[in-house]
Amino acid sequence: MIAGALFYYQFHSWRNRLLTRVRRLRQPKYLAGAIVGGLYFYFYLFRGFTRGHRPPSATTLPLSPEMNDLPQTLAALVFMFMLLMAWILPHSRAALAFTEAEVAFLFPAPISRKTLIHFKLLKSQTAILFSALLMTLIGRGWGGGHLLTRALGWWAAFSVLNLHLLGSSFALTMLMDRGISTWKRRVLILGAAVAAVAGIFIWTRHSLPPFPTVSDQGGFAWLFRYIGRVFASGPLPYLLMPFRLVVAPYFAASYTKFLITLAPVLGIIWLHYLWVIHSNVAFEEASVEFSRKLAERIAAARVGNLRGARRPKKAARPPFVLRPAGHPAVAVFWKNLISAGQYVTARVWLMLVWIVVVSGALLQSNWAFGGGGFGTVVIFFVGMLLAMSLFYGPQVLRNDLRQDLPVADVLKMFPMPGWQIVLGEVLTPAAMLAGAQWLLILFGAIFFPQQFEKHTVPLALRLSVALSAVVVLPFIDLLALLIPNASVLFFPAWFQLGKDAPRGFETMGQQLILMFGQLLVLLLGLAPAGGAFALLLWGGSFVHWPLLGLMLGAFAAAMILAIEVAVGIMLLGGVFERFDVSGELLV
Amino acid sequence: MDIAPPPITATTAPPPQIEVAALTKLYGDFTAVNDLSFSVRPGEVIGLVGPNGAGKTTTLRCLAGIIPPTSGAVRICGFDLARQPIEAKRRLAFFSDEPRLFDYLTVSQHLTFIARIYGVAGYEETGRRLLEELEIADKADKLPVELSRGMKQKLAIACGLLHAPSVIFFDEPLTGLDPIGIRRMKDSILKRARDGAAILISSHLLHLLEEVCSHVLILKAGRKVFDGSLAEVRERFSEQAGGGNLEDAFFRATGETKGEE
Repeated sequence: MIAGALFYYQFHSWRNRLLTRVRRLRQPKYLAGAIVGGLYFYFYLFRGFTRGHRPPSATTLPLSPEMNDLPQTLAALVFMFMLLMAWILPHSRAALAFTEAEVAFLFPAPISRKTLIHFKLLKSQTAILFSALLMTLIGRGWGGGHLLTRALGWWAAFSVLNLHLLGSSFALTMLMDRGISTWKRRVLILGAAVAAVAGIFIWTRHSLPPFPTVSDQGGFAWLFRYIGRVFASGPLPYLLMPFRLVVAPYFAASYTKFLITLAPVLGIIWLHYLWVIHSNVAFEEASVEFSRKLAERIAAARVGNLRGARRPKKAARPPFVLRPAGHPAVAVFWKNLISAGQYVTARVWLMLVWIVVVSGALLQSNWAFGGGGFGTVVIFFVGMLLAMSLFYGPQVLRNDLRQDLPVADVLKMFPMPGWQIVLGEVLTPAAMLAGAQWLLILFGAIFFPQQFEKHTVPLALRLSVALSAVVVLPFIDLLALLIPNASVLFFPAWFQLGKDAPRGFETMGQQLILMFGQLLVLLLGLAPAGGAFALLLWGGSFVHWPLLGLMLGAFAAAMILAIEVAVGIMLLGGVFERFDVSGELLV
Repeated sequence: MDIAPPPITATTAPPPQIEVAALTKLYGDFTAVNDLSFSVRPGEVIGLVGPNGAGKTTTLRCLAGIIPPTSGAVRICGFDLARQPIEAKRRLAFFSDEPRLFDYLTVSQHLTFIARIYGVAGYEETGRRLLEELEIADKADKLPVELSRGMKQKLAIACGLLHAPSVIFFDEPLTGLDPIGIRRMKDSILKRARDGAAILISSHLLHLLEEVCSHVLILKAGRKVFDGSLAEVRERFSEQAGGGNLEDAFFRATGETKGEE
């Protein structure tokens, strides 16, 4: 009877969720997302099948027959590592993941503990089956057997992993209840692991095959061959045996072999099941706490705030003293800097400076006698990181309206015009990005060699280029940051949905549309400044004052960008003032 | 317990601090608030009552400038909320049923932040006094996550009162408070009213409203059913002339039935 009720709950939850998602496709924003997301999935996952580019049963790793065993050995090694981590990492009590509603209805209901565990185990099969399917599609070129056997192989491995994580968390909770602290347990387990590794090392030293000599080496085949032989020596095959058994169905070359290899895995799953179901551990209290945190995470994510779900653990120091008199936008900047200070502390900045200086000094000393190679490395390093900061920085640093969207109603009550709020909001990530970029430029200016591929690069040129970048980059950052902030205000539903339902491919489609839209707008915004810069640089070169052209071009570009940013902030401020939080967040 | 509503003298009535004229708020085809007009003078405490979905919270959010009304006008201390939002917002405070705080600012950092936003000179002393009055002075360095629900509400109140608002909106102010907190909240509301603030309280707790309010505004399905003093509402909607209580009047005014009756 209870099982029937739980099945009813699960089935109808599923069905209703699916129906809701199908129904919402009537709205153009979801339909567009679904089409783009569907196309993405098609091109990424399925195209190979329909065109027959990748025969599903082929083993595509270029290994000789004697090394066919190596992937299975490595997979077993990874699996062993994951299970070992399950015994070392967790530090809280065992908790079965229930939603708040499940805790509220099922925990006080006349349902046995065993039934609750069964319910959770069956429910977890949904995620396991989905993951197995996804991994089969993603890893269709990784080798192994037939597509179906690989899918079932993934299922078997995930099932064992899931049960083992649960069983180990129960066992660790029992240890905790017997007074064995987290650190004591970690030291014991790590000590045992280190002792085992040391023992195996000593044992295998005598049975290890000799390391190949230089003359034997050709390509990487020798390395694979050697690793394969190492894992076949001494006690390693026996140690890896249980893990090899778990991953064996994935690698089975035929259906017959698959069935033969599946039998022991089913036995392992059954033993794990018995272990979990007979562990007498009170998980309810920790599950209640877990469900509360889960509900908080979902609530924060529903309003587009993934970071908000991560509650700060300790207060961060204010970056500067905020006086009551002055521009109120500075207060928003100050507030967001404190928020950013939870993650990007002064220590992080110091460490960055240290890394930059030390790596620069080391690189320079290595290349001191090597000519122009060092210059290439510096250009590559600085250029790559600057490009990454421009592209990913505005997506990663979100201490702006994206963070404050859940408290938009509070911001709207402040006696400030909208543009001041927008300015205060975007200043924090812009300042952080500009700080990191200036550090990179400083690195480039200091460490770039004076001689670069037969050309002399005087200090004046290096400083001019650095100064130009220093002037222009903060405005590019501001422009780049205005775009996602505008997205929040213009398409809040898309923004929220992006975090609310990360599993839907229509969501992925929406994210892709937003990303390309942002890129396009940024390129359009940069075009006038880029044009002015190019024109002045060319003019400077034409009159044989290239440095002057460079500097003037940079300042002109900065001015154009500043105007664009100012106009953008004023426009967004107006949008914020008209932003109806009732339609987007409160209702 | 001798908590009494502040006395209202009709003869020397000052100009209203809150003026609402033909306020309407639509959500698509749904009318949340329909042609609502009323005013609140300094020292008046007006209780906003109505069944669920009557439009109480929407009304408060429109008056606080959080959501734009579809039509109609709101004036706070003489300033039009649509045309002079900054001046109007400087003079008001809104307390939602759920305290809205910044997770990463401590109690004292909240006050510093709000002081800059509202330009409150000498906020340190006012803030210290408020924290002491609300009994959270020892929590100055704590983050909201380290505070109980009631303490969070007190912090929200301290932030709202820091700039000494002339107009205060409360949405279910007693949610989550313990009996001592409830008593202090009532005292605080009455003190602000005596100091001349115009106060609008939305609540389902009719006995609370009876204790602190001088006037009542009854809404049903977004429309005003009644607007007047407590005595007037009792007189108009009670079976016994001059008798009965706000609860009886509420049921009669909204046409609802009372449980088992």
